[in-house]
Amino acid sequence: MRSPNDYDHFAPEWCPGCGNFDILVALKQALYDLKIESNELILVTGIGQASKIGFTIKCNLFDGLHGRALPAALGVRLANHEAKVVSISGDGCFFAEGGNHFLHTMRRNADITVLAGVNRVFGLTKGQAAPTSARDYKTKIHVDGTGAEPLNVCRLALVAGATFIARGFSGEQTQLTELIKQAIAHRGAAVIDIKSPCVSFNKINTYAWFKQRVQPLGDDHNVTDWNAAMQAAEETEERISTGVIYRVERPVFGDHLRALQNGPIARRTADFTPERVRPFFAQFK
Amino acid sequence: MAHLNIVLAGAAGQGVQSAAQILGKTLQRLGYHVYTTQDYQSRVRGGHNYMRIRFSDRPLSAAVKPIDYLLALNEESLDLHLPQLTADGLALCMVEDQGDTEDARLRALSEDIGPAAAKGAKFVGVKLLSMLMTAIGFSPEVLKESVKLQFGKRLKAEVLQANLDAIEAVARSMSAADIHALPFAPAQTAEHLFVTGNECIALGMIAAGIGVYAGYPMTPSTSILNFLAGAGASAGIAVEQVEDEIAALNLAVGAAYAGARAAAGSSGAGMCLMSEAIGLAGITETPVVIVDAQRSGPAVGMATRTEQSDLLFMCHASQGEFARAVLAPALHEDGFYLAAAAFNLADRWQTPVILMDDMAYADAIRTVNEFDLAQVTIDRGAIAPEPNDVTVLRRFDLTESGVSPRAFPVLSKWLVAVDSHEHDEVGHLTDNIENRNRQHAKRLRKLAGLAAEMPGPEIVGDADGTLLLCWGSTAGPLLEGAQRLRDQGHKVGVAIFRYLYPMNVEKIAAALSPAKRLLTVEGNELGQLGRLLRMETGLTVDGHIAKTDGRIFTVDDIVELVEPRLGGER
Repeated sequence: MRSPNDYDHFAPEWCPGCGNFDILVALKQALYDLKIESNELILVTGIGQASKIGFTIKCNLFDGLHGRALPAALGVRLANHEAKVVSISGDGCFFAEGGNHFLHTMRRNADITVLAGVNRVFGLTKGQAAPTSARDYKTKIHVDGTGAEPLNVCRLALVAGATFIARGFSGEQTQLTELIKQAIAHRGAAVIDIKSPCVSFNKINTYAWFKQRVQPLGDDHNVTDWNAAMQAAEETEERISTGVIYRVERPVFGDHLRALQNGPIARRTADFTPERVRPFFAQFK
Repeated sequence: MAHLNIVLAGAAGQGVQSAAQILGKTLQRLGYHVYTTQDYQSRVRGGHNYMRIRFSDRPLSAAVKPIDYLLALNEESLDLHLPQLTADGLALCMVEDQGDTEDARLRALSEDIGPAAAKGAKFVGVKLLSMLMTAIGFSPEVLKESVKLQFGKRLKAEVLQANLDAIEAVARSMSAADIHALPFAPAQTAEHLFVTGNECIALGMIAAGIGVYAGYPMTPSTSILNFLAGAGASAGIAVEQVEDEIAALNLAVGAAYAGARAAAGSSGAGMCLMSEAIGLAGITETPVVIVDAQRSGPAVGMATRTEQSDLLFMCHASQGEFARAVLAPALHEDGFYLAAAAFNLADRWQTPVILMDDMAYADAIRTVNEFDLAQVTIDRGAIAPEPNDVTVLRRFDLTESGVSPRAFPVLSKWLVAVDSHEHDEVGHLTDNIENRNRQHAKRLRKLAGLAAEMPGPEIVGDADGTLLLCWGSTAGPLLEGAQRLRDQGHKVGVAIFRYLYPMNVEKIAAALSPAKRLLTVEGNELGQLGRLLRMETGLTVDGHIAKTDGRIFTVDDIVELVEPRLGGER
């Protein structure tokens, strides 16, 4: 790759001003800086506007079902644990439809980078509340507000067992690029809660709204201290801290599997001849 | 058929299963053909469980009702099973379990027989087995050898010795009048494996080169998950118990996309959760094998009871139209060879392939000939030749067969994009009219190609009388039941459907056309095979014989249910 634009594939089709444009630029820059070739990367996406970032990057793409990107990504990793796997989708996909999978992917500390575009609204289906919407957020369905607390993505990831957790903002390009680079380089489940305005359907949490509230964490934050991370991950309607919230090393899902110790399974298929079953006959004799 | 039928019965936790396991293995080692079924409740302690152990000098693929020897581990077992004991059969129990049961065929063993170290509930199973083995003419050494082989390493030396002494003492206590040599000799024909239906499927998957398997525990599919997980370390199979069945199939599809042979398994309720991902495999043209081990439904149904009511569901699960194949092993051996065939069909046609069994098949333990690995081939289907430079693959290129060469991401220079949306040749989403028509037609062309290579049903017995149509576990009891009916002078045959969908109309019509009457025999009320046949081929059946009480078909059930439907014809 000679420039980040060499990753360009299909032209994006978001609304002008969409935060996803900025996430795309940051991701391409991060991939370029990390010298990841197109054919070394597998993007696993779901359904929603954020997941459409997958179409715009020239690489391998598994664009799966709404909410189900992470189990598919885990399958990719079990078949080939040397592949670089990045999963991109929005807050509806990862945390509403896919909430259970998010919990268990974090708990496993699967070596997957999760880039969650959090715009606090459903864009693709035109303006319903997301799990991250404010309690008093009104929509055609939530005529009296959502009646529920907004999900704190970073705290959820912390509790569930992710080993790299960060929060970024699509409007802070330099910081976001750096966070994505660190997340991809991290070995284990890495999550970035990327605040990203939906210019068409969320008239409250706008670019300016986020801009006024984001606040980078200070250098004194200890990213290896879980309790400090829990505190740093606090996010209110008044203040949103950004930066690396938590980073530790822990065994990665698959390290425990003896089945994976002789190289990626997808590479070994030629060795899997029918004779492979013969040793298992003895126990039935 | 010359055989003996033994029932071992008691409460959960009393050791019915381990006693049956010793007996089955002993008979297998002696060279007999053995067929064992389990009847249990969804509980860890109490209730009523029993196992039928039937053995013969000829291959067996079904259970029968009349009991030759009843080994009762509690009083309830006597009450429940004595009515099925044959006139010259024997019931065996401990004196304290006899209660007020009085029967000339009952032999109750005193706790005083055998060493003091072998008193109590833990030794009841082995003592009753010793009574049985002595009654059918074997020296105590046979059972002692078996116990040593199976438990020698697991039991403390003194406990093992107490078992062996008890066997000896009980054998000596048996009255000569109760000892009868077996009316048939061992077969000694082949090296037998003593396996469950699900184990046959799991072994077939290993032979086929499975690399990734995902599931969530659910009776009766769990034993496949267990077996593959145990084999995984040495065979190189990544097995994961996932958070739900939705994850199971999405995981398998992801793994297959990345290049592994992958499968997911569950029972009916889990298949409901997998349904969306069946369509994902359909539209992304990802080869994946899905096992549906059926049980009683709907919803939770009866957790430990069998049924064959998922057939129409599996042929149609998931919205939209796409190619798939549905296969069902009938006899134990089929599980091995069909599991291997399923992976080849999936890879060659780039579709989901569903392998259906049912609890009656999944749990039945049978002796089978060692599987012939020469019959297993591995065909990964069309693979795109490696390009010189990193290039976007036309993954969904239009072809006559509907199958486009694929490649494995990261392992090659091809960039491989697949999409759950409608997509163009390079896997990019679009709702363009012409593209939709082209891609939809391409995917559905695979159905015709699949149907063309699907075998028709196997016909056993008379093709030109009453033909009994079946699939799955019903085949075993039907084969023997039909033979019994033929022995009585009826003109009866059995048509076994192993390849259920898509149907090859010509082969099926040719196989069924000589018959005067077609009756489906299935573990469902609605006659699902008949409905599928009418839907797919236009053929209509003349009647349906159903059993949906959750219990297995025995040979006796078959004769009882089929005979009145033959119209008195011979």
